[in-house]
Amino acid sequence: MMKVEYINPFVEASFSVMEMVLGNRPIKGNLAMQPATFTSQQCNVVCGVTGQVQGQVIYGMSLQVADKIATTMLGQPIKVFDQLAASAIAELGNMISGNAMSKLSDAGFICDITPPTIIRGTNVKISTLSIPAIVIPITLEQGELSITVGLQGRK
Amino acid sequence: MSKRILITDDALFMRVTLKNILVANGYEVVGEATNGQEAVEKYDAHQPDLVLMDITMPIMDGITATRTIKGKHPAANVVMCTAMGQKNMVIEAIQAGAKDFIVKPFQPDRVLDSIKKLIG
Repeated sequence: MMKVEYINPFVEASFSVMEMVLGNRPIKGNLAMQPATFTSQQCNVVCGVTGQVQGQVIYGMSLQVADKIATTMLGQPIKVFDQLAASAIAELGNMISGNAMSKLSDAGFICDITPPTIIRGTNVKISTLSIPAIVIPITLEQGELSITVGLQGRK
Repeated sequence: MSKRILITDDALFMRVTLKNILVANGYEVVGEATNGQEAVEKYDAHQPDLVLMDITMPIMDGITATRTIKGKHPAANVVMCTAMGQKNMVIEAIQAGAKDFIVKPFQPDRVLDSIKKLIG
């Protein structure tokens, strides 16, 4: 069972970062449990977590939502989802994860994140770790995304 | 003459964002580095007035790069600009020689205020 202390930092960080970067307040849906850390979303930012808490966090969304978020972050409509657009989406995941690490640190869990990786495509299923995960659904003006948090204390 | 700044961040989006802020406010971006090792090499080559430095990067992290740059150039002005704002990270960066610590996401004024205080 994942500790709630690992989840709340990501909920709080996602709200503060998205509100500042995307200009609207997210709405959180009901949390769901998964037996493992995986996603079948079309566009995913994967951040590794190391230290006293370990695992992965995946920020997943549709291609359309990724386009809309990148458009907001870049301040102009994107014609193609190029390297700059991908970098914007990856940086959103990086900023949320980084802020969550600060909150985890305040709660006594010293951790670090690895540079984010972006995986994009249709009909892709990413299975990463056998760590049980909690999925946080988020609704924004740009559309819906999910944050899959698969973390456990270091053994 | 414009003050000269080196941007170090592995994220293209962040390099473009920072460059736009700096250029719009009269600074010259003398180079962009995508990891700490590149930052050290580009600092040696360009001797900028200030470096904006990310922390979490491949090949060499920003704290190691800051320590290396300060070891070779004690007067270097390095400002950390990172998503990682935990206390231990701030302390480590300051001990490595960073003169300010900006947590992402940031407002442009936060970056500009820091730069103005250090190099005008």
